[in-house]
Amino acid sequence: MLLKVENLQAKIDEKQILKGLNLEVKAGEVHAIMGPNGAGKSTLASVLAGRDDYEVTAGTVDFDGEDLLELAPDERARKGLFLAFQYPVEIPGVSNKLFMQTALNGVRAEQGLPPLDMFDFDEYAKDKIELLDMRADLLERSVNVGFSGGEKKRNDIFQMALLAPKLCILDETDSGLDIDALGLVANGINTLRSPDRGFIVVTHYQRLLNYIKPDHVHVLYNGQIIKSGGFELVHELEEFGYDGIVQKHEQAQ
Amino acid sequence: MSKKINRKVSPMAQQAVDHYIEQSLLLNAAFPNDKVIAGRQRAQVLFAEQAFPTLRDEDWQYTKLTGFVQNRFESLGKHSLKLDDLHTFLPPYAVTKIVFVDGWFSEELSDDLSVLPNGVSFESTRDVFEVPGATDQLFGREDLINKTPFGVLNSLLMADGYYLQISANTLLETPIFVLYIQSLDNQMATVRNHVVLEENAEMTLVERFVSLSADESFKGCANVVTEMDIAKSARMKQIVVQEQNHSSYYFNNQFIFQDDQSTFNTFYTGLGSLISRHQNHLFMNGEHIENRQNSACFGRGQQTMDSRTNTQHNQVWGKSQQLHKYVLDDSAVGVFNGMIRVDRLAQKTDGQMDNKNLLLSAKAKVDCKPQLEIYADDVKCSHGSATGQIDQDQIFYLQARGILRAKAIEMITQSFLMEPAEDITNGNIRQWIMATLADQLNAKDSL
Repeated sequence: MLLKVENLQAKIDEKQILKGLNLEVKAGEVHAIMGPNGAGKSTLASVLAGRDDYEVTAGTVDFDGEDLLELAPDERARKGLFLAFQYPVEIPGVSNKLFMQTALNGVRAEQGLPPLDMFDFDEYAKDKIELLDMRADLLERSVNVGFSGGEKKRNDIFQMALLAPKLCILDETDSGLDIDALGLVANGINTLRSPDRGFIVVTHYQRLLNYIKPDHVHVLYNGQIIKSGGFELVHELEEFGYDGIVQKHEQAQ
Repeated sequence: MSKKINRKVSPMAQQAVDHYIEQSLLLNAAFPNDKVIAGRQRAQVLFAEQAFPTLRDEDWQYTKLTGFVQNRFESLGKHSLKLDDLHTFLPPYAVTKIVFVDGWFSEELSDDLSVLPNGVSFESTRDVFEVPGATDQLFGREDLINKTPFGVLNSLLMADGYYLQISANTLLETPIFVLYIQSLDNQMATVRNHVVLEENAEMTLVERFVSLSADESFKGCANVVTEMDIAKSARMKQIVVQEQNHSSYYFNNQFIFQDDQSTFNTFYTGLGSLISRHQNHLFMNGEHIENRQNSACFGRGQQTMDSRTNTQHNQVWGKSQQLHKYVLDDSAVGVFNGMIRVDRLAQKTDGQMDNKNLLLSAKAKVDCKPQLEIYADDVKCSHGSATGQIDQDQIFYLQARGILRAKAIEMITQSFLMEPAEDITNGNIRQWIMATLADQLNAKDSL
């Protein structure tokens, strides 16, 4: 088991957002987490990545045999957890190269591998830049500064490709993407699919899911997963909307 | 410019005034030149009347001199430095080296200046004193210089400095590197410089202020006035690195006069001294002038980092750009004051001034005052000032990629402070400055 979330509860500013969430992800699987606005989708992604605005009040998260909640955000990343941000952050003055070389060498140190110098790094980064169709001068530019929304999302997927994590969490990576950028992002994700890697794709819409065909689909509502299924659940949502599924759930209770 | 106010001079300040007037008399006796003595005497009248600025002076309300006034710096110390003492202060690229020790030009420690390229002439100010008639070039702008309190003190104690002239169409490729080193305890280095670039000349001037000892029981004071005349189409690049030890003082007033189509790019970095104040008085007296004034200051401990610009657009089509950044830790104080004044003749002016500050501790503070005075109607001017702490989202973003929190903070702080240095066009100098800034930032935790 790559990730096992049990009864996860979390709050922010005294507001309870996650109310007992359970989720299991095996290596090689792609899970989609869908849900209406305010259901707790981004909170789940943030809590897993270790953002300290959120307080975990109950539950456990096991990540590849370790207690994830005990690890600092940088330790989680070094051990192979990756969050693609809903809003990737601009960092003026820090070049993508310095950023990614520092990050990659941190991950490599964790794996007992020697650091890459700038020439090895350039070589390693080259085909990933092409995969995401990034600007040729990407590495020299400041992190996300002057990037369009779509370029920022692609840059996050580029970082994911570089760091080759075990578990990729994509937090509404599809929001705000035009059809061309969506295709590039989906292609990037599909290229990274592998038997040793798991994905959690958090999204409000089915658009991205049509490209990447998740193995499992979960509907998150009011801080809990209320329905799980296969890819066919995406079509059910398309037909009935969140309201339909939420109503059925509430009637059943 | 200080406003005349009715002063009550404290007994402490009065003693200091008396002390510095006495120092000027000692200088008069040691270097008897009638014109220089007359200049010191004119300054003495002003200084006796005005004494030192206090917090009641609008231009000094954030830069507290009470500690400074308790010092009794001397002017006539005699050093015994060897070339070997200088190695750590020299930059890792080819320069023509000029060395001032405690304010005095040192011929032994400087490069052989008799072999400067054609079209470049250098004289120490003290030598200029000896040339009959030549002293006029030192006093032409005395009234302007004496409008600033430390300009008056400079005129009072004027001792040495340099006169550097680049003749028309001369392109000086090797940067001139001027090292000002404080070697003796309790010395005031009073330096009066004048740089003249004739038509279509070009040069790069790098000036570095250091203390021989980092020991805080050792203190010095540098008080510099530099005039620069940049003639038509001439191009002047200047880098000033201020790294004196943390008990010393630094005051620098630069008066820059630009003619048609000339360019002036200056970068100041303030890293050292207990109190430092770097000030550009920039007069854009021709058409199609361009200039850039950037600064990067990092203060920690009890340091006060004061940097200010006064940019006067006096003719059409002038373009001025500025980026001033401060990083302040511990109880450090940053002061930024920038004035852009656009004369009614200066249509089509483009003046941009930006100031950004990063506070690393709850006790650090910054006082900033960007000002615009515009008397022309067809201009493009902007100023901005922003102060904040490190963005937590930026730290988390780097952490989420596996970068340690401390390293993330270091990367963000460094990149913030280095941005003004990105406009330095000479790659060797830019890298040297960036390495210097990185060293200072990384040294902060070891103190």
